[in-house]
Amino acid sequence: MKGFEYLLKIDRRIIYLVIGVVVILPLIFPTVERVRVMAPAQSLFNAVDSIPEDKILMVDFDYDPQTMPENEPMAIALLRHAFQRRIKVAALSLYVQPLALALKALDQVTEEFNARAQTSADSIIYGRDYVLLGWQPPPIVPLLEMGISISNVYSTDYYGYRTDSLPVMQGIENFNDVGILVSISGGNAPLWWIGYSQVLYGVAVGAGLTAVSASDFYIYYQTGQFSGLMVGMKGAAEYEELVESRLRVPGERKASEAMPSLTAAHLAIMVFIVIGNIGYLMRRRT
Amino acid sequence: MNTSFDIWLWVSAFLTLCIFSFLYKDNPFYKFAEHLFVGASNGYLVTIIWHGSLWPQGIRPIFAEGNWWLIIALIIGMLYFTRFFPRTSWLVRIPIAIVMGYGTGAAIPATIQADIMRQIQGTVLTPQNFARWNAGSTGVIWTVLLFIGVTCTLSYFYFSREHKGVLGVTSRIGIVFIMIGFGAAFGYTVMARISLLIGRIQFLLGDWLGIIQ
Amino acid sequence: MKKRIPLLLVLIFGIAGIIPYYSQYPVVQNVQSFIRNDMIRIIAAFALVLGLGSLLKVHYDKIRRHRENWEYSWVLILSFVVTAIIGLFGGRTGGGMLPTSIGSFVFNIQVIYENVNVPLGSTMFALLAFFMASAAYRAFRARSLDATLLLVTAFIVMLGVLPLGNRISHHLPSFVQWIMDIPNVASKRGIGFGIALGSVATALKILLGIEQKWLGGTK
Repeated sequence: MKGFEYLLKIDRRIIYLVIGVVVILPLIFPTVERVRVMAPAQSLFNAVDSIPEDKILMVDFDYDPQTMPENEPMAIALLRHAFQRRIKVAALSLYVQPLALALKALDQVTEEFNARAQTSADSIIYGRDYVLLGWQPPPIVPLLEMGISISNVYSTDYYGYRTDSLPVMQGIENFNDVGILVSISGGNAPLWWIGYSQVLYGVAVGAGLTAVSASDFYIYYQTGQFSGLMVGMKGAAEYEELVESRLRVPGERKASEAMPSLTAAHLAIMVFIVIGNIGYLMRRRT
Repeated sequence: MNTSFDIWLWVSAFLTLCIFSFLYKDNPFYKFAEHLFVGASNGYLVTIIWHGSLWPQGIRPIFAEGNWWLIIALIIGMLYFTRFFPRTSWLVRIPIAIVMGYGTGAAIPATIQADIMRQIQGTVLTPQNFARWNAGSTGVIWTVLLFIGVTCTLSYFYFSREHKGVLGVTSRIGIVFIMIGFGAAFGYTVMARISLLIGRIQFLLGDWLGIIQ
Repeated sequence: MKKRIPLLLVLIFGIAGIIPYYSQYPVVQNVQSFIRNDMIRIIAAFALVLGLGSLLKVHYDKIRRHRENWEYSWVLILSFVVTAIIGLFGGRTGGGMLPTSIGSFVFNIQVIYENVNVPLGSTMFALLAFFMASAAYRAFRARSLDATLLLVTAFIVMLGVLPLGNRISHHLPSFVQWIMDIPNVASKRGIGFGIALGSVATALKILLGIEQKWLGGTK
């Protein structure tokens, strides 16, 4: 075999091994890399930060385990932001699978805050500071009906309490009382909030997206239909950076810790692509 | 190293390694994990459907709260099960027609407004769009460039005429924009896929083995 | 009749779906609330149950006829039955009639989801990282000027989105942001117009009964 043929015939298991090693080593030997916050994440942070006191932050958890590594850090950073600023939170999901992940994220952040709390006022209490509304099929029902009345859709919350009896939902009738709705999704849910709820009722929408969806969803950010975006693990890291630096909220930053591994893996893939192209060009010449 | 002794963490780690074993080749561990995933996911689905929807929205309002008119919806919903009986399987079209019809109808104005009208508004050369970039007079250049890009991309997808002359030039420019768009999409896709792997490795090395803090 | 009734229903409810965008009268809102809350919400829950029934039927047939890998169908059915029983009778986070803890060992549906579904689901997609790297090495070739442009853009984005990009040049992340804001938006918007017009056309064809594939094969 000619020399350059080897460049074209690297065994796939060697590629797998290299990818595995470049991901693992930076996690075992971590380095600190500060992320630079870009405009989309900054816009979303500002939009959430400026929610008036009488309005609520609605968080749509629409990611499942398949996209959890990208979306969960976004959800956790967003909840830390809301709880630190004492913004009331109403969580829901348009599908079944994300509901358990919503509960997981809410429980984790609540425990973080309550572990540091000195008094009841500092604590995060279910029903007073946040509510998990749950899931109602099909998605078109909450998308359209919550503009009329949230309790029409979610008469009881996830745990079976009447939503209109909870302190957090007092004075929260419909989308007019929602400061912003942030959809953290591995799919197209943010587009449905724009197409149905925003078009009909004018609710502000932000999104936490997987990086796969980023290039398709930017067209809605450019028009202002999205108030802000968190894009992929990098977007989650940017929001974590904002929450820690602006609000001094401590906590594990999974997305930020992953940046060195991400860098190494990107470089490895670029090297493999270049190797493949060198072999290809050399073969074309002979 | 600070390995956890929580049983559930070991179960999670075992199942993770079963799936990773597919990288070598398909094997019984992978097949077992794959089928377990489908079964457990559907078990969870049934739980939430019952506790979250069927009981509180369907059955309790009818039989415990006396809202008898809801029985019409219950009967229509049960028509889904006629699919399993060949003689009456056509009845499944009724609930499908209702749910799909309403969703399809609602999608039409939503798509026109959000995906067409607002997108046109974001493309045309107006002072609001110039100001959107927060870039002073450079905003005009970016808006014009965006306008050219959108129209040239659209011209590339116009296949009713041969791409010659003016159309040839605009479609060539359109291809340049499309290639850049797809390149950006690929770059982000790489980040997405690697992120998913990093998440699992963080679990194995952090939560399970305690190697990373 | 077997076709006419469903086609008529799809048209009626399709129009019902369009109306709220153009009329905010209270009587219209009340009718819409009735359709959404008292009809569609209940009907749609059964669709999910139907999907489940079909899945179980397929695997039951596989076991009965001893098709390839039929043994694993037992794994699916048993895991479904066990988790469904724990979830239905144990409650969503415990507290149901079935106890879901033995001492400090908890096994309610939430715990099962976090420790079974989550690792399985997320690891399946984590495999894609390896397959994507291998596929990119084998197939991503700069065969033409356009492909080279795509490749170069991908490299710029892959470098620029990371902190490394900011260290290479302070302008690199801003350049990547510009690529996303202008050329990417331009191309995706052009493509998006076509998709949107196509989906509106398809939706109208469904409502007007021109598109009938959703009726299925039987007459």
